Order: sequence, then C-alpha cells, then structure tokens
Amino acid sequence: MPRYLVERTFPGGLEIPSTRDGRKALLGVVDRNAAEQVTWVRSFVTNDRRKTFCIYDGPSPEAIRRAAGSSELPVDAISEVSVLDPYFYVGGE
Amino acid sequence: MLFERDELLADLTALVERARDGEGSLALVAGEAGAGKTSLVSELVRSAGSSVVAVVGACDPLATPRPLSPLLDFASDPAAGFMDLFVGDPNPTDVFSAVLDRLKDTIRPTVMVVEDVHWADDATRDFLRFIGRRVGPTNAIVVCTYRDDELTIEHPLQVVLGQLVRLSSTHRFEVPPLSVSAIETLAGDRIIDASRVREITGGNAFYVTEIVAGGEALPPTVQDAVLARVGSLDAQARRVVEAVSIAPRSLEIEFVKPLCGAAPDAVDSALGSGVLVADGSALRFRHELARTAVETALLAPSRIEMHRTMLRLLEGSSDSARLAHHAVQAGSPELVAQYAPQAAREASTRGASREAAAFYAAALEHFDLIDPDEVARLRAAYGSDLAELGRSDESLQQLTMAAEFYRAEGDEMSDADMLRLMSRTLWRYPDPDGARRAIDRAIALLEPHGPSELLGITLVQSSSLHMLTRRRAPAADDARRAAEMGAALGSQTVKFRAGVSDACVEVGMGDSTAGLAALEMYRREAIEQGDTHHLVWVLGMLGSGGGEVRAYATGIEALEAAAALSASIDQDINTAYSYAWMARIAFEQGRWDDVAGHVAHVEAFMLDKLDVATVTADGALGRMRVRRGDPGGFDLLRRASAAGSGLELQHVWSPICGLAEHAWLGGRGEEMASILEATWDRSIATDSPWAHGEVGFWMWKAGLIDGPTAIAAEPFALQMGGDWGAAAEAWREIGCPYEVGLALADGDEAAMIEAVRTFDDLGARPAATMLRTRLKELGVDHVPRGPSRATRANPAGLTPRQLEVLGLVAAGMSNAEIADELYLSKKTVEHHVSAILTKLEVDTRARAIAVARDMGVVAT
Repeated sequence: MPRYLVERTFPGGLEIPSTRDGRKALLGVVDRNAAEQVTWVRSFVTNDRRKTFCIYDGPSPEAIRRAAGSSELPVDAISEVSVLDPYFYVGGE
Repeated sequence: MLFERDELLADLTALVERARDGEGSLALVAGEAGAGKTSLVSELVRSAGSSVVAVVGACDPLATPRPLSPLLDFASDPAAGFMDLFVGDPNPTDVFSAVLDRLKDTIRPTVMVVEDVHWADDATRDFLRFIGRRVGPTNAIVVCTYRDDELTIEHPLQVVLGQLVRLSSTHRFEVPPLSVSAIETLAGDRIIDASRVREITGGNAFYVTEIVAGGEALPPTVQDAVLARVGSLDAQARRVVEAVSIAPRSLEIEFVKPLCGAAPDAVDSALGSGVLVADGSALRFRHELARTAVETALLAPSRIEMHRTMLRLLEGSSDSARLAHHAVQAGSPELVAQYAPQAAREASTRGASREAAAFYAAALEHFDLIDPDEVARLRAAYGSDLAELGRSDESLQQLTMAAEFYRAEGDEMSDADMLRLMSRTLWRYPDPDGARRAIDRAIALLEPHGPSELLGITLVQSSSLHMLTRRRAPAADDARRAAEMGAALGSQTVKFRAGVSDACVEVGMGDSTAGLAALEMYRREAIEQGDTHHLVWVLGMLGSGGGEVRAYATGIEALEAAAALSASIDQDINTAYSYAWMARIAFEQGRWDDVAGHVAHVEAFMLDKLDVATVTADGALGRMRVRRGDPGGFDLLRRASAAGSGLELQHVWSPICGLAEHAWLGGRGEEMASILEATWDRSIATDSPWAHGEVGFWMWKAGLIDGPTAIAAEPFALQMGGDWGAAAEAWREIGCPYEVGLALADGDEAAMIEAVRTFDDLGARPAATMLRTRLKELGVDHVPRGPSRATRANPAGLTPRQLEVLGLVAAGMSNAEIADELYLSKKTVEHHVSAILTKLEVDTRARAIAVARDMGVVAT
C-alpha cells in the first residue's frame, strides 16, 4: 500500500486535550480511517499547532481524502513518499 | 457416510434455511478432483429431503463441452419442473430469466446444483454470472462445485468468480483433505498405515477410498489402485467398465451390450464391485478420475472401435456435441466432417463462442471432405466467432479464405459480405485504415448490383467508421444513402441503423442539440419495438456523445439508463464504459469526490485492462488528481495515453490534454509541444469541434498556435480569441467550474481574484497556487481563502458524502442498501451514519431525518 504525507492547516490551532475526550476523538479518527482502509501512522505538529504533517498508508489519494472528510480534517496537499534514512545504503556495501 | 464434513454441511444447511426466508445465495464449493465435493452436495440434497426442490446439473468433461449442459440436465428431470425450458428455441437470456423466475418458491426453497463448473462452456459461464448476481432476493441456494487447483490465472471461469465473490450473497467453501484419524475410521477393521495413506493421497477423499478398498498392499499410485480394482473383476465385468469409460458423462445401459458384447449380469457384477454406479438408466464411474484412469489404459484400437460403435448407436441423436466428441475420439476425418459443423452452429446459437470455435476448427481440419460451399460458410461463421473472442489474426485468415472462394466463384455479394466482416475485425484489431479499405471494397463490389439490404448495412457500417474517425461529410453521406435504401427496400433494420448513424454524426460534428433529440426519438422507437440490442446502442451513443459535447444532463441520464440496462443483461463491457463516461463527466463538472466511485464500478465490470473503458476511466481519475495536485495522476495519464495510442482520437485526446496540463501546472511549458503535437495533427484532420477546441486550447496555452480553428467549440474558441469574460460565462452555462477559473485567470485583477476563489473552492491547489504567484507579481499580496464549497453548501457541516448518505437514509434505506447503492462497505456507511447523527446532535435515524428536513438539507 502506498504511503502518503498529508499536509493540513488548522487556522484556529489544533487542540486535542489529553483527557478521555481527547483519547476518544483520536480513536474515532482511527475507526473512520479503517472504513477506508487508511492507516494513520504518525503526525508532526508545528509548534504553533497550526500545521500538521501526517504520514498515512492508504490505497489511493481519494481514500485519504474520504477518510479526512469523514473525520472533518482539512487537507492542503497530499504527496506520495517513501522512507529514506541515514543508514539507507549501509546494507548495499 | 461423510467424514469431517459436518461443519461444511451445517454452513450449507444454514444457507438453505436462509433461502427459505427469502435470502438466496450462491455457494461456491471448491476442492481438488476427488476431494469429495459431489458427496458433500449429494448429502446436502439428501438431508434437505422433500422440504426443498432439488435440481441437479453438471458440466461436461467433453473435449468441447455441450453448451448449457447443466440447464439441459435441469430440463430433462421431470421432478425439477424445468421440462419446458428449451421449448420453442428461446434465446439464452430468456432461458436464464425463466430459471430465475422459478427460484422464488417461498414454500419449498430450491437447491440448484451445478457440478464441475471448471468445465463450463461460455454460455454456462454467462448463466452463472446471470444467476449469481440475482440469486440474493430469491428463495434458492445455487451450489457450484469446481476444482480450484485446475483454475489457472487465464482460466475463463476466473473472471466470473472474481466478479461473483464481491457480492454479499456469494459464499465460498473449501472442501479440506481428510485427516489421518478420518482415514483410520474409514479403514474400519482393516489394518492399514493411515499416515502412509495420508501421504500418498494427500487426504483426497476419493483416493483414500480407492486405496482403502484395494486391500492391504498399498499401490504406488492412485491410478494403479483404480486399475488394480478393475483388474480384479472378471473379464465380462471388466469389459463393461471399459465400455463405460469412453462415455464422458455416463453410458446408457442399453448401449453396453452393443459396445462390448457383455452379458446383462456382467453389469450387475460391475455395479456390485463399486467401480460403477447406476444413474437412472445409465451407468457411470463413481468419479471422473477413475474414468480417465481406465480410458487412458485402454489400447488405442479397441478405444477407437468403441467410439465408432458409439457413433453408430447415437445416429439420429440431436446431441450434436456428444456426436462430435465421439467423432473426434474415433479419429475418423469423415465422421468429424459429418458431425462437427452442426455442433459448431448449435454452440454459436447458444452464445458459446469458444466452444463453437473449437468445433469449427475440428470440422475445418478436414475441409477437403466437406462441400466447398459449406466450407466457405463455416469459415465465415468461424471468422465471426474468432473475432468475438479477440483472436483477430485467425479471424482474418478464415474470412480471407472464404472471400477468396466466393471471388473464384464470381459471387460478388458474398465476397462483399466477407469484406464487411473483415472490416469489423480490423476495426477491433485495431487497424482503422485497414477497416476503411475493406469496407470501401465491399461497397464497390455491391454497388453495381443495385439496392440491397446487405448494401444498406454495409453503408451504415461505413458511416460508423467515418463517424469514429470524426469525418463529417462522408459519414453523413453514407448514412443518408443507407436511409434512402432502407426506405426503398422497406427494411426497418436498415432504416433504424442509418437514422442512428446520421444522428451520431450530428451530435459529434454538427448540430449536437438536434442530433441528441433525434437519438432520444430512436431511443423511444427501440423501447416500443422491444429491441434491447438497439436500445443499448442508442443509450451508449446518447451517453458518450452527450458527454463529449458536454451536454451533461442528457449524457448522465442516458449513461445511468445504459449502465442499468447493460448490467441487467450482463453486457459488462457496455456497463463499464457507461461508468467510465460518468467518471469523465464528474471530473469535467468538478464533482471530484464522485470520480473514484464511478471508477470503482468500471474496475468491477471490466475484463480487459486495455479496453476503452479503462482508458476513459484512467483519464478521468488521472486528470482529477492532476488538478487537485494529488499524487498518481501522471502515471494514470501516461498509461491511458499509451494504451489509447492505437484507439480512435476521442479516447485519447482527454488524457493527452491532461498530460499537457500536468506539464503546464508544473511550470514545464516547454514539454507541452512534444506531448500535444501528434494528437493535434490527428485532431485537425477531423471535423470534431471539441477535439479542435480542447487540444487546440492547450496548444494555444503552450504558445504553439495563435488562435482557434474555424470549427473549435465555442467556449474554447472565445477564450483563445481573447474574450475571457464570454468564455467564463459560456463555461458557467455548461457547468464546468474549473474551466470558468481558467477563463477568469486570463482576465483583469478582479477576475483573477475570482478565479483563485473558484480554484480554492474546487480544491484545485496547483492552479490556485500558480495564480496567487502571478497576483503577487502584480502587487496583490494576499488572496484569502474562501470557505470551502462543501461547508458553504451544507449548513449542518456535513460533507458531500454524508449528505448523500443522509438523503438515502431519508429515503428509507437500510445501511446495507445504502452500501450497495453507493458502492461502499457496510462498515463505511455505519461510520457515515454515526458521524451524521453526531453532527446533527441526534441519536436516532428518524430524528436525523426530521432535523435534516427542518434545516432544508434534504428535500421534504
């Protein structure tokens, strides 16, 4: 399944309280993603909490958008990405 | 007695009970040869007893199967109630519908068994597809057994199974191998090394039984086990067994004596040994594996002799496939030449092209023994079937030989008819130029003979070819001449087809409004005449023609009708093509959330990845991704352009424009020339305003041309002519918001700001970003984002998909029904519904509907 980087903007800032409600909100997103065969891997949030960069696995960009739509998450841009790390070439030596 | 099948039997019995309650199903029972599929199904039928109507049919292991063999079995069983199935020579679709109608007995559900579908002929596969898709709302369970280990990737049954397993009414079961302890139980008192038997047989139920029956000494192979058992019979009984082995299904008892001279009591001892079983008034092997083991062990001379005797015994029989089988096995050219042609024609009539082709091939192998006139007719029919099967080279070869014969005979009419068929094959090849040459020659041959129905049909075909290459004058001329000829001859068919061709010319290259109106008239005519074939054709033309000239309302309505009608008669290619055009229209109208759903339908119905439906669907999805700036668009467009390069212009110009737009949005305008040039040359060679318009527009954007051609479609022409305001207005009228944005982007500062908003609204990020940069250069620093279209349109904050779901909830549909309707999983629909309830702050569906109506979100 392809991996995508999804950029989102939250003009009012992203607020997820570290309470039972916050936990419920996140699990809700996970459930709704599952209906589209989309997996949320992890997100990076800017310090002002206005932008997020999220890594997702999913069947297509349309599925990523549908999943975002059912969780009411904004989508600025979707890019298809793959993993590169500093030790990428070590195995090939 | 069955071992280790309780669970399977319980599951199947549960399905029978559900059928009683109106929830029908298709059960696919898979397993290797000898796994015990038949025993399982027989046990199901036995245990259900008289509370069900049991109907059993099987596919033939004949070299070339008898078309619709299982249905012929149904019809021959007086208890099944299908005796009149084939009375009056009905066409296959009518037969299928008649079967379906009888599956609605609410008191006694039907258990319909179709054995060995891996041997099914084309027509039977069509039947399985037909019944599998419709069994859900009946009171029946249709059980199909098949050997999954014999299904290669290219096996024609794979496509059918692939489509059927997607349905919620389809259940798949696997018959597992027997365990060591089951083998022990089976062996009873006999001392046997059960683990060793398990090893030799792999737990295959039939093999296990054969080996256990064989006694203490374990034979090295299963074939040895079978032969050892036959070898232990007395000479007379052995001859009975050998005689039965040459009959692939079963052998009528009365044929035993003439075949092998055995006395009647020998039949009893063969039955007593358990090698054979009685099946009504016929004998058969307990398993096909045993039959082949015995048949292969026969010495050739005696095998051939028996096949010849069989032919004498069957003389006068109407079972042409069975006759042809024995003729081939008898190795007698005369007999093949005598029986195969009839078998071929029957298979062709029943819609079993593949089987027909096999019989034609067998017959024509001995063409020197057949009357030359008949050979030519066979070649013509064989050529048409081969074209159906996509075997174009062979098709052309056969048709050419037939044409040469007619030419030598001086029969110009038939020669022309062959050329007409060749033209059709060449078109699918695809070789449009070759198709043109063949049809021109056919017309030249026919004209001196004066008006005829054949000339009329040939002119219609010629008009269609001109239409497909978008050449107006010759297409219109041929259609007009055909119409006159149809009127003069009083031929309804020629008149109708000529009229539709003429209307298509108008839609694509003339007065499209008048053309579409004429097509609507022919649509009514086809409905009145009850001619489904013509109706599918006209709807397809209305849909794709309406789509091409951007008459969207007409196009969508026709495409939905076309998709529904084609699906109801299992014309999958037409169904897929209809959904592909729905995807293209959704893309052009800016309804981008709908595109992927239509494309999923195309994938569900499409058989061949290189067909026009896939090219059209890939084009729409690819262009949408490019406009959204989403990944994957370029690859899809490149695939569509490559696959479409051999197809007519109308299938490729949109993906090619998409590639050009991709380069333009990426700031690589210099790449546009090489993308567009070949397609531009093809476009200006046609009389198609929309090809001139759209391809021309991107040529103009690339700075390769200065303005529109004379016939370019109006909105594109206006913009290329510099009148961006009128262009934007025209696009708004047609309903293409992205194109409105493109036109406004050419305007003054205010128009450009409006264009940015239009692009934001659509989620067209690359175009919006590009325009923001240009505005910045002009000193306009910041164009704020407007609210997204979705939120603005729906005060409750529902997404378009949620709104769609809510509408269906309000229409009284269940989650399962909504899932079917929207092509979503039931789980997705559940999520949407719960999201809707949360957003509307209600806790029941009924409250949600009420709130939605109050807010005006759905119609009251």
